[in-house]
Amino acid sequence: MGIFTRTKEHAPCTVEISHKFESLHAHVRINNGAIIYPGDEVQVQGPEIMAPFGEVVTEDREAIILRASLLERLWTKTFGDFEVMELCEFSFSEEATL
Amino acid sequence: MNKHSADATTAEEAIAIQSALDSNMATEVAMQDTLLTPRFYTTDFDELDAIDVSQISEEWEPLIERMLSDPNKGHFKKNDDWDKVDWDGMDPELKKEFIDFLISSCTAEFSGCVLYKEMKRRGSNEHITQLFQLMARDEARHAGFINDALREAGVAVNLGFLTQKKKYTYFRPKFIYYATYLSEKIGYARYITIYRHLEKNPQHRFHPIFKWFQEWCNDEFAHGEAFALLMKTDPKLTSGINVFWIKFFLTAVYATMYIRDHQRPAFHKALGVDPDWYAEEVFTKTSELSKQIFPITLDIENPKWFEKLRRLQKVNADLAEAKRNKNKLKQLWCSTRAALIFLSLLAVPAKSNKVPDVTRMEPAY
Repeated sequence: MGIFTRTKEHAPCTVEISHKFESLHAHVRINNGAIIYPGDEVQVQGPEIMAPFGEVVTEDREAIILRASLLERLWTKTFGDFEVMELCEFSFSEEATL
Repeated sequence: MNKHSADATTAEEAIAIQSALDSNMATEVAMQDTLLTPRFYTTDFDELDAIDVSQISEEWEPLIERMLSDPNKGHFKKNDDWDKVDWDGMDPELKKEFIDFLISSCTAEFSGCVLYKEMKRRGSNEHITQLFQLMARDEARHAGFINDALREAGVAVNLGFLTQKKKYTYFRPKFIYYATYLSEKIGYARYITIYRHLEKNPQHRFHPIFKWFQEWCNDEFAHGEAFALLMKTDPKLTSGINVFWIKFFLTAVYATMYIRDHQRPAFHKALGVDPDWYAEEVFTKTSELSKQIFPITLDIENPKWFEKLRRLQKVNADLAEAKRNKNKLKQLWCSTRAALIFLSLLAVPAKSNKVPDVTRMEPAY
């Protein structure tokens, strides 16, 4: 990991999207044990995965992990905390635009 | 006219109706698409693994037992109480605000689910991973229920965000405890206050989802209890400099709720609720509850405190208007004023509180 430079990694992953009445969730599991650190970016490759209503879709895909530079990691570790308010239901987020 | 999933008597039937609707959707019903954009988090997982619940096992075990027994398992299903909603006849302003309310609630439940699941997956402490698994279950269930209400309103939630680039941000465990503890407890206070109000004033219940709030908020209550116990395992989390952080989070959470609620005037009018009355009720309940673990409460009875809060809300309304008008200079001015008012709100002295030896409580409002 460089101070300023980012590196790219490929990792196999499993995506599970549940669009059911009983449970609405979406998770990515990285399958090669790679650990995601603060500031890293993860993008699942391939077309958008859509689960029709009432179904759970599980797919094996490849993810690209864009590792944050050392500076970015430090920045995120120091200031990432302030985004914690988004966990609240009435967050400062913009109104939904429809 | 399609049969509405609101007419379904079981979840299965509702799903079948909704699936049929989906296949016809392109031609018959224009569903509005809203992309859920939860955040992705990392934290100090070693610190979470190091939590020792043995010192609080007397309070911890009954809580986990109860969550395992899953008292709300059958609750989030539609039954005869789910009345037909007249979406077409609803005042457009109310509809917009109510849908905004549902989407932000769904996103919050969903984000909670993503966070808890991540903690469950990356942790190795069995007690902790078990807790987060149980909470993720509840949040996903709530999100599914809200999602269904949104679908009836013609809003499709898009879960396609995983194939977009997602940045992982970082929260220290203690900030997760403060924020999620408060968010769960204030969530309980908000839901139960609306539920009790509508019990007395059923004519204002313009959507059946409010009937589900009582058992729903008991899940929030239980999650809050779990975070209170987690904080109890380490007295440092509620003493010293951390008392300042607690004050910061209390202030931020109360102020955010107040500002957000004032952005939904039609929603509150339809419920027959004055947002100022509502805020006072919710703050009073939340403060009372948070005495179980926090050594301070905000002095919400101090007239200065509420006056500053009102000013903060007004500046935020000005800021929103400046943003709409793309007036950069005014935006800067309003942001600066908002920051200063927030600091002065923080400066109002808090009330100290002697934390009881026994933490656990039962929902009583």
